[in-house]
Amino acid sequence: LACLSARPGFAATDDQRAREIVDRADRLLRGESSVGTVTMEISTVNWQRTLTMQIWSLGTDNALIRINKPEKEAGTATLKVGNNIWHYLPKVNRTIKIPSSMMTASWMGSHFTNDDLVKDSRLIRDYSIAISFEGERQGTQVYEFTLTPRPEAAVVWGKIILEVRQADLMPTWQRFYDEEGKLVRELTLSDYKMMGGRFVPTRMVVRPVDKPGEQTMIRYDDLAFDVAISADTFSLRNLER
Amino acid sequence: MSVFKMAWRNVWRNERRSIVTILAMTLALCVELLYSGLVTGYLRGMEDDVLDLEVGDIQVFARDYLDKPSLYTAIEDPYALLAQLSAMGYPASVRLLGGGLAAADGFSAGVALRGVDVAQDAKVTLLGAKVADGTWLDPADLHGVVIGRRLAKTLEVKPGDEVVILSQAADGSMANDLYTVRGVLMGVADATDRSALFMNAGAFRELMVFPAGAHQIIVRRPDDVELEAAAATVKSHAGTLTVKTWKELMPVVASMLESTQGLILFVFFIIYVAVGILILNAMLMAVFERIREFGVLKALGMGPLHVVSLILVESAIQTGIAVVAGVTLALPAMWYIGNVGINVGKLGGMSAMGLAMRPVWYGIYNVGTFSGPLVMLVLIVFLAVLYPACKAAWIRPVEAMRHQ
Repeated sequence: LACLSARPGFAATDDQRAREIVDRADRLLRGESSVGTVTMEISTVNWQRTLTMQIWSLGTDNALIRINKPEKEAGTATLKVGNNIWHYLPKVNRTIKIPSSMMTASWMGSHFTNDDLVKDSRLIRDYSIAISFEGERQGTQVYEFTLTPRPEAAVVWGKIILEVRQADLMPTWQRFYDEEGKLVRELTLSDYKMMGGRFVPTRMVVRPVDKPGEQTMIRYDDLAFDVAISADTFSLRNLER
Repeated sequence: MSVFKMAWRNVWRNERRSIVTILAMTLALCVELLYSGLVTGYLRGMEDDVLDLEVGDIQVFARDYLDKPSLYTAIEDPYALLAQLSAMGYPASVRLLGGGLAAADGFSAGVALRGVDVAQDAKVTLLGAKVADGTWLDPADLHGVVIGRRLAKTLEVKPGDEVVILSQAADGSMANDLYTVRGVLMGVADATDRSALFMNAGAFRELMVFPAGAHQIIVRRPDDVELEAAAATVKSHAGTLTVKTWKELMPVVASMLESTQGLILFVFFIIYVAVGILILNAMLMAVFERIREFGVLKALGMGPLHVVSLILVESAIQTGIAVVAGVTLALPAMWYIGNVGINVGKLGGMSAMGLAMRPVWYGIYNVGTFSGPLVMLVLIVFLAVLYPACKAAWIRPVEAMRHQ
């Protein structure tokens, strides 16, 4: 009887704690501002390629990505301001705005979409969170959370399941489901390191379920948080620099 | 007295009734003649547009391309098949297909890239003649492109303006280059108008890093080969490739053309039934008014067949006059519709079933569009007059003469 009466109290604190853990994992790689170098390896059934790029971000609204390699595409840049994306194409010296109809198209041939860059989705704001597993998996104590969108949230996923290590609260994987509950893609995080003064996963692999054998890997080569970046960095003028 | 002479006199004994009957036939014939030519012209124009501007007669694809179009699902060696087809008298041309983004001065839109071999393509489509503004592709101008008219509106470009094309090349790299709009097409078909961007095959290969192969082969059949037979011939040379006739590629359009034909016959039928009833009525009146007269004729020894032929000749005379009058009246209108056409004005370029309507609607007049209405008219008149003729022929003289 004591157990039963104690349960609601536990659930309430658990829920609060679940929200904190998920929010922490969600914000791990986000600072007020950040500058970093990223390597992206894309593998499709038809080709494989590796891109290196410089990334600047300020808040959740502004981001600038400039490609350094391969040579052929060096200088190509993507600017995100709010919900808009522009590409700068050095070969033709033109900037083009991505129309809303192309937001679900692939970004730079990767398995990320333009939407992934733009969507400012705070997990704890848009989803209600429940612990769906707590215990040992493959020798590691983990939590598994199931996130379901709040009725008013404008999000693309029908459900997200994510796993976090209990010891250091590092996220290990996230699975994204569509509205019919079908697994659409899987994100795996690994190679946890100190970088820019934070302990973060530095390697992320996204695998689309409908394209077996394909994946995009992102690796942070260096990353600095909360550095001074002027808002002018995220202007069309600077994009065409 | 000859049957003809008697019939002629009978026809003009009740002038008013005969003239009304003749007028009804004349009007019906006129309407049917113009209508049949107009509809034939409309259907033929539509079919020609579908075939000449969009699909050709037959198309060849790599297997699975139609289910899941992809830059990588290509016919590996299209030119070998092309050579075989042209040796048999089947003009054919390759098309390279891809998707991308076109942008011009702040406007951008998704486009369907279509790489064409300009010289070869002219043998299978008339697209080159459908440029409303500017000029068609030139093999020497690798950076010139021609776009659909609604795409031109979306991008707010006209010939001479620049567009940037952004896509993903076959090697995964970012395909982008700057092109100049050479021409804007007239209304062709919905998909083409909205999103098509035609470029030289060579320019496509360079942009998309796509050195060999093709996604589509458009084939025309020789005039004397039926569509199905032509498709079978192409199939026999195509190996594992997918071969489709235009009817399979555009089943909605094909079935619409067929059902429209059925509809025309139905409307024909209704008009003729109306004319038939009118003629039946007129002839019944003519016979029953003269029933005592027929009784007298029979009493004088005229055989039933003689009476039947008399009535048939009477209606033949009326029909003959109606045919001459109807054709005479219809001819100038037919000439006008066939040669000058009806300017549908604002309707031109509007589309039905994804096909743009031609700005000028021409009728087609040939033996078929003439003979149909003529034969139908004669047949209906014959059927309508048969009953009263028989009635008069086999009436008993005593009854007939007592008839009030």
